[in-house]
This record gives sequence, C-alpha cells and structure tokens, in this order.
Amino acid sequence: MTVPAIVVSHVSKRLGAHQALTDVSLAVSPAEAIVILGPSGSGKTTLLRLIAGLEAPDTGTITVHGVCVAEAGRNLIPPHERGLGFVFQDLALWPHLTVAENLGFVLGSARMPRAERASRGQRALDTMQIGTLGSRYPHQLSGGEQQRVALARALVGQPRVLLLDEPFSSLDPELRATLGAELHQVRRELKVTMVYVTHDRDDSVLADAVVEMRGGRITSLSNAGNP
Amino acid sequence: MWGWRSSRTVAIGLAAAIFVVSCVLPVASFLMASLRDATAAFALDARQWRLLVNTAGLGVGSAVLATAIGSPLGLLLARASLRYRALLRVALAAPLLLPPYVVALAWTYLASSRGLLATVAGYDALAAWTYSLPAAALVLGLVLYPLSMLATEIALRRIDGRLEEAALIVAAPRGVFWRITVPLAGPGIMAAALVIFVLAASEFGVPGVLRVRVYTTEIFTAFAALYDPGRAALLALPLLALCLVVSVVAVTLLGDRFVTARRGADTPGALRVERSQSPLVMIALVLVTALALPIAVLMREALNSQSIVATIGGSGEAIANSLRLATIGASALVGIAMWLGYALARTRGGLGRLADIGLVVLFAVPGTLVGVGLIGVWNRAGPFGALYGTDSMLVLAYLARLLPIAILALAASSRTVPLSHEEAAAVSGAGWLRTMWRIVVPQMRLGLVAAWLIAFVLAFGELGVSILVAPPGETTLPIRIYTTIANAPSSSVAVLALLQASIILGPLAALGAILAHRERS
Repeated sequence: MTVPAIVVSHVSKRLGAHQALTDVSLAVSPAEAIVILGPSGSGKTTLLRLIAGLEAPDTGTITVHGVCVAEAGRNLIPPHERGLGFVFQDLALWPHLTVAENLGFVLGSARMPRAERASRGQRALDTMQIGTLGSRYPHQLSGGEQQRVALARALVGQPRVLLLDEPFSSLDPELRATLGAELHQVRRELKVTMVYVTHDRDDSVLADAVVEMRGGRITSLSNAGNP
Repeated sequence: MWGWRSSRTVAIGLAAAIFVVSCVLPVASFLMASLRDATAAFALDARQWRLLVNTAGLGVGSAVLATAIGSPLGLLLARASLRYRALLRVALAAPLLLPPYVVALAWTYLASSRGLLATVAGYDALAAWTYSLPAAALVLGLVLYPLSMLATEIALRRIDGRLEEAALIVAAPRGVFWRITVPLAGPGIMAAALVIFVLAASEFGVPGVLRVRVYTTEIFTAFAALYDPGRAALLALPLLALCLVVSVVAVTLLGDRFVTARRGADTPGALRVERSQSPLVMIALVLVTALALPIAVLMREALNSQSIVATIGGSGEAIANSLRLATIGASALVGIAMWLGYALARTRGGLGRLADIGLVVLFAVPGTLVGVGLIGVWNRAGPFGALYGTDSMLVLAYLARLLPIAILALAASSRTVPLSHEEAAAVSGAGWLRTMWRIVVPQMRLGLVAAWLIAFVLAFGELGVSILVAPPGETTLPIRIYTTIANAPSSSVAVLALLQASIILGPLAALGAILAHRERS
C-alpha cells in the first residue's frame, strides 16, 4: 500500500479570536495535485501554513510521507526538515540577494559542493526559462519573471511536496494561463506532490482533485474533471 | 491642488524664512569665515592630528558601545515575548533624554579617587580611567544606545515576515537570522551607528567634564577663553567635514527612512526570541547601569550637601530661566517645524531627498560651531544686533540646534496623513488653512505633542550653543551646572544635576505609569 504524501487528521486552529480551521481532515497521494478552493477567510492559507510548519495545530495531527510532523499544540519537525517547497502569494523573494543567490540559499542548506550548487541552480532557472537572469536582483525583474524565480526557488531543492499560496493572483489572465501550463508540465516531469491554494475556480484545471473550504471547514472534495 | 496664491505659500514661506535665518545663516556665516583659510585648516600639525584622532576615537568608541548594547535590546523589543513592552521601551529610552554631561558628572562621582568605587573597594582602582577618552566613550555609549535600540527595533519590524518564513522552509532559524534577517536590518543598524558617531564627535559637555581634548572643547577654548574666532574657525573645518561625510553616508544607507513613523510590515517577523533566553535579565542589567546607577550616585553625592534647599534656592533664577526658555523654545520649534515638516512630506523625488540630507547635515553640525556662527550673524550693529545680548539668543540657539531634527520628525508625522484626505477636503471647497486646521493637524496631534515634549527636554538640557550665546548675567541650569563644576562643592553640583535629571525624568515616569496601566488593562 502506498503511503500518502500528506495526511491532515482532525486539525483545528484558532488565530486570536477567529476559529480559522475546525476539524479538518485530508489525504493527498504522492505525485497528486490538489487545488484548495475557497473565499477569503475560509482557512485555506492557514491549512497550507500548518502543513508547512509555519503554524502548529491546536488539535489533530499532520503527517508528511508517513512521518508525524505536528500534533496538538506543537510542531515535531521544523519546516526546513519536511522536504517542502513553498511559493508565497507575495512571492517573498529576498530583496538583498540576486536570483542565483536566492536559489543558492536554498541549496546552501543542503551542504553540497559550490559547483554542484551552481549547476543545479542554473538548471532550475533554465527549466523555468529564466536562465539568463541569475545575476539580477528581484526588483530588476518583471512580475512574470519574479513569479518564475519564486517557482524555481521552490523547486530547486527537489522537494517532495510543493505548496503554493495563490501564486498567480496578481498576474493578468494571459500570463496566468501560460505560467499555469508550465507549472503543470514541470510538476508532472518532477512527479512532485502539489497543494495549490486559490480562490479562482479556473485554477482547478491544474488539479487531480479539488477541495472546497468555507468557514474553516472542508465542504466538498471531488475529482477535478468531475466536480 | 493648491496654487501659488494660496495661504500655503504664505505660511510655509514664513516658516522657511525663519528656518533660513535661524538655522542656515549661522552655519553659512561660519563656513564662509572658515573657508577663507581652508588650506591651513586641513594642513594638520601634530596637535591637530591628536585632536582628530581623539575626536574620531570618541565617535567610534561611543558608536561601537552604543550599538553593542542597543541592537540586542532592539532585537528583544521587536521579537521577544515581553510583558509591558511599551513601558520597557520608554524606560530603556530614558538615558537618551538625560543630558550627557549629567551622566559624565555621575561617572566622576563613581570612579574618581574619592568616589563610590574607591570607597567601597578600599583603593583607587580606576584612577587612570576617570578622566579619559575611554571614560567619555563609555558615558556617551550609555547615553546614546537608545538610538541604536530604536533603529534596530524599527528595522526588524519593517522586515516582511514572509521573507523569513520563506527561508525557514529551507534553512534552520540560525541560518535564517544571519543570512536573511541581519542583512535586511543591517542598513538601519549601521545608519544609527553613524548617527551616534556624529553626535558623539559633536558632543561638548562630556569631553568638557572629563577633560578630554577634542575638537569641540578646543573650539570652545579658542573662542570663549582666548577670543580667537579665526582659530576656532580653522579648528572647526576638519570636524565639520568629518560630520558631513558620515551624515551623508547615513542618509544614503537609510534612503527615505531616516526618521520614520511608518508602520511595520504587514506580516510580523517569523523568527522569535524564546522566553528561555531570559531577555529580562539583559534589560534589567542595562537599566541599572545606564539609568539607576547614575541617579543613585548623584543622590549619594547630593546627600552630602549641607543645604539642599539653599543650593536649589541659589539657582532659582537659572531653573526658572531654563523652564521658561525651554517652553518658549519648544513651542517655537514645533510651531515652525510643523509647516516645514508638512512641506517636506509633500515634496516628492530628488528635491525631498536633498532636503532630507540637508537637514541631517545641519543637525550634525556641532553645537559649539553653531554658537560661534550665531554670534557672527547677530553680534553686529543694526536691527540684527538688537537681539544680541538678550535672552532671545537662547531661543535662537534652540532653533538653530534643534529645528532640523524637529522638521524631520514632523515630516514623518505628516506622511501618516494620506494625501487623499487633503484632496477630499479640497474637493469639498475647503481652503488650505482650513484643511490644515481641521483635517491634517488633528491627525498629527500625537506627533505634535511628542515633538513638543522631546523639543522641551532637549532644549532644557542644551549646553553646547547656550554656553556661547547666553547674554551676560543670564544663565540656564545647564550653564550653571557646567560653570560651577570647578568652583562649587561637588555635592552642590550633584544637587543641581539631580534636579535637572528629575525635571526630565519626572514626566517620563508619568508616561511610563500610564503605559503600564494601559498594558495591564
């Protein structure tokens, strides 16, 4: 039997006075892509942050590739040891580092030789079709280029799970479609598990399954082609 | 939105004219006098070299110590889970408001051969250090560390938490701190260190009390004791050049954030200082060393006074003068800086940035130079001379010394009022004055009150300019303290220094009590 890539089991989370998640359970198979749909305040970003380890659940457990990484009230495994890539809504590119250094920081944590680091970084940039931009700083790039850098940075560490928090929300529809198609292709080639959070129903074309959330609860779960 | 013929032109034009006359003219006059013999000023002989090395040493020593104390405290205030954070911030910032020469006096009572340490230890352990350059750097480091603390806290709060979260996904917290957090906060911390360098190099009172020969004390001696304005001007030029270069670097590092009231990033920082690291121990240690110890030492010395009441009574006129002139000065400062701060906040692009740099550079000009410049401008026949010899010169001294920083502070306050609020008022048919009075000023009221209080405290403790321009027979409390150090018993000087510290710290303690009450409820 295949071990699920991610298992979220009876997870609840309160943020201040707001109950962000209530008894949420979810399983994602390896190399599967799910899209979590929901309006603002539905708890989808909180769920993503719990999987990443940026927050700890109040109740319930989270398992990544068979290892329990968080249980009620505490994170057992810190974020950087969970084998994840994360693309933030505002991209969070480090402004004081060049594109190559942004990727290098990720690989630097893996303690690999400098030459291998450079070649892997360059490969990731080539994959995202921004191979010539390594020496530029984030503010010197267009919106689409920044988006590609954020994806390259999330993938360069060869994560087993890729988490994306509305990464294309600020782009125009044309660029959004182009990047969506490229992401779909890269994900299939790398066979990476993907959890994609969005409020736009059109993004469900990227998914094998669609989870809908409202008021901190999962309201429906369906195959993408079969809503 | 507002044309040239509006009341805005009149109000801002009038404020700008006062700024030019009180602030720019003295420095320009002094510069003109100095530049006549600029070559000689930079032809440094052995004596000049010693002054330069001492001045730079004082600046570097103070900046390093203040940063070493201030930046960890800033980190704690920004990232540790602290109860009564606002109260702690006020308490930790308090040493900045103490006149530095008062702390220097406390140091002499602590470390001199008849001081507290020698009495307790039984021998004079610090004999060689009491009156020395390291002692002056220590005193200024302890007084100025809040600047580094506040700059570090602001720099850390401005970091978007997402940047740290993105790094935490792939690296351990220690790596994230050194590779992401520190480089992002670095420019703010470095700029604060440079500002501290300039303030320490420009300081007159501390090296004066601790008998350290630096440019400011030499300029004072050349002008006030030897009455040799030419020599004072020559001495000033290298110091001025040093301060200007460092100020420009500081402003360049910080961009438009030199004095800021901008709120922090939307997402708070992801790296936290854990409770187990005992931040309270460090905070307590700093508060005891920089605040409680100087006050306690002054109190001990003051208690030796035969008649505290008589000492205070004998300085009644100086105390009353200080309170009256600081009140007038603070009101004038805020009244003028409000218009110019507003104008600066609404000036975009290169001109605004240039004005920022100019104001920082003006603030960096050492007090003794400003004093000599003021005398050059006002000590003459005709209408200008009518003011010279009156206590209006002291108000002018406060304007010349403090107006640049007041303008920068109130510009930051003005920037918090959205331009759209003014536009909405203009569309509704309000004139500029009415818009200012009803829309802009009410939204700046907290900034205005804070600016007034800080201006009052700084004016109340001002020494470097006042001591040069005070008319004969007219004295303020700082001048009285400084001039009686050599002639009166140390216990009497301690009584006056303690009185000055109390007048400054009293309102601060009240503010602290209000904050504590608010945080508790």
